[in-house]
Amino acid sequence: MPTASASPAIGAVALAKRYGTVTALSDLTLRVERGSIFGFLGANGAGKTTAVKMLLGLVRPTSGTAQVLGAPVGDREARRSIGYLPELFRYPEWLSAREVLAFHASLLGASGTQRARDIDRALAAVGLSPRADDRVATYSKGMQQRLGLGVALLGNPTLVVLDEPTSALDPLGRYDVRALLAGLRERGTTVFLNSHLLTEVELVCDRIAIVKSGRVIASGTREDILGEQRGLRIRAQADGASLHAALAPFGHLTEHSGVLVLPDVAHERTPEIVAALVAARARVYAVEPIVQTLEERFIDLASSP
Amino acid sequence: MITIAWMTVREMVRRRFAIAALLGTLVLVALTGWGLQHIHTIHKQHGHALSPLEIRAVTAALVPLIAYLFSFILAFAAIVLGATMLSAEIESGVLLPVLARPISRGAVVVGKALGLSALLCAYAAISGGLEFAVIDAVTGYQPPHPVAAIAALAALAIVMLCLTLAVASRLQTVATSIVAVAGFGVSWIVGIVASFGPVYHNETLLRIGVVSQLLLPSDALWRVAVYQLQPAVLVATFGLSGWPGPFFVLSPPPPAMLAWSAVWVVAVTAIAVRSFAARDV
Ligand SMILES: Nc1ncnc2c1ncn2[C@@H]1O[C@H](COP(=O)(O)OP(=O)(O)O)[C@@H](O)[C@H]1O
Ligand SMILES: [Mg+2]
Repeated sequence: MPTASASPAIGAVALAKRYGTVTALSDLTLRVERGSIFGFLGANGAGKTTAVKMLLGLVRPTSGTAQVLGAPVGDREARRSIGYLPELFRYPEWLSAREVLAFHASLLGASGTQRARDIDRALAAVGLSPRADDRVATYSKGMQQRLGLGVALLGNPTLVVLDEPTSALDPLGRYDVRALLAGLRERGTTVFLNSHLLTEVELVCDRIAIVKSGRVIASGTREDILGEQRGLRIRAQADGASLHAALAPFGHLTEHSGVLVLPDVAHERTPEIVAALVAARARVYAVEPIVQTLEERFIDLASSP
Repeated sequence: MITIAWMTVREMVRRRFAIAALLGTLVLVALTGWGLQHIHTIHKQHGHALSPLEIRAVTAALVPLIAYLFSFILAFAAIVLGATMLSAEIESGVLLPVLARPISRGAVVVGKALGLSALLCAYAAISGGLEFAVIDAVTGYQPPHPVAAIAALAALAIVMLCLTLAVASRLQTVATSIVAVAGFGVSWIVGIVASFGPVYHNETLLRIGVVSQLLLPSDALWRVAVYQLQPAVLVATFGLSGWPGPFFVLSPPPPAMLAWSAVWVVAVTAIAVRSFAARDV
């Protein structure tokens, strides 16, 4: 038996969910280490929300098993240490933000001065302190999402599950959330982040899984997913055909409006190429690696059959 | 569970539902008082006003009608509240972050059931107390067992609430309301039809009535309430011939039916809990 703290934050094996004939998630196997920020990336309808709901015990898996914080999914005690922001967040409109947090604090069994301090801290963390006593009905969608984040952060959870946490936020709000996630990482909190916003995931996540049609098609660090990066872009001038001759040993060469492109060459060979160009008496203005972004890689993966 | 129950009560008060219900009831009570006032002006054919005894007799016949109105209000309030507090909250997503907390689904259902039951009982007590006080003030008539009648009406509301919650654990708001109203309506009509059983000594009708009351005790509780409101004189007068329909009850459902209603409430709440615990949200 692994002890609770030695177990991963999340471990899922062959988790699947079917709604009638619709397969929402077909085979999810993943492991999220404690203290990491895990990005769960996928197009709309890929099965991200279904996966999260199963991990929280809100939806029953059709098959497969999963453990969260060392306990089977849906375990009541484990949920004490989990914060959750749903994708479609709604909070009682007739309460103020402070009262919503107080309600959740009492569901967590908190009481006394510690509880009041927790609530103040959560309000401050999501920037709602100035409006804390206004009714939720008067909040914008973005403020309601901030409140949802506050609810998820209440009571120092070990694991925070955020389903599209910035869907209603402006760029400034998104920046705030990234800072918040960085703060959580420093405290050692595990974050499971559902998103289709690639830059968001790219900027904050330690590890990433890409899900497509209910199946994980790639996972690992950002570098693992991007794979070995290849290709160089060169701006240089030389007399006659010596430029092409100098670059010939490095494989396929194309030219677009005065920029030479070596699409297949490894980045490590850059010094060799520069040396060859100099030896051919070329004037070198720029040699830059072609870097595929996560977005491009994601589109590659998502559009491949 | 207590947290959920308390939150439910707070919601009703904070969203001014409670105050709206009380204001509506005040108007209703005032209207019935105003209506009963007119009994005083009824003249017999030869021109004399009714004696106080006659006024009380007429009022005694009218009280079940007024109680009927309140039983409808209570039943529909229970259905609307049950459907919005469970189905609608699942649909809107308000319940999602709550269910992710270290709280069982059962505690959510039972908490809401307790909170709403408390509100319905409070409403029955306040509105019933007001109504009987106004009737007494206007006509000098007091039904024999007003408290027992109010308790039976409150129990009717709780029965409808439990039925609604059990249905709401699976169906959407509108469907839930339709099913619960249909259940109430069928039980009501079968109750009326079955009340002809004793009059015509028809065993089948009697049996259908009992089965219907076992399936949904709302009509049985209504009959208990009416019986508590009828003066013994009235029962003695009409007792021999019998009187079908919902407004006069010669023989109330037996105590066993009351016990069954209590069992029914517990059992249906358990069904609601199990069904809600097994569903995806
Ligand atoms: N309650 C449900 N009933 C039927 N189909 C559903 C239900 N929830 C999700 N689905 C389907 O499962 C798939 C995955 O949905 P979802 O997990 O919400 O994806 P994502 O969060 O990645 O956008 C979609 O095709 C969706 O239509
Ligand atoms: Mg989603």
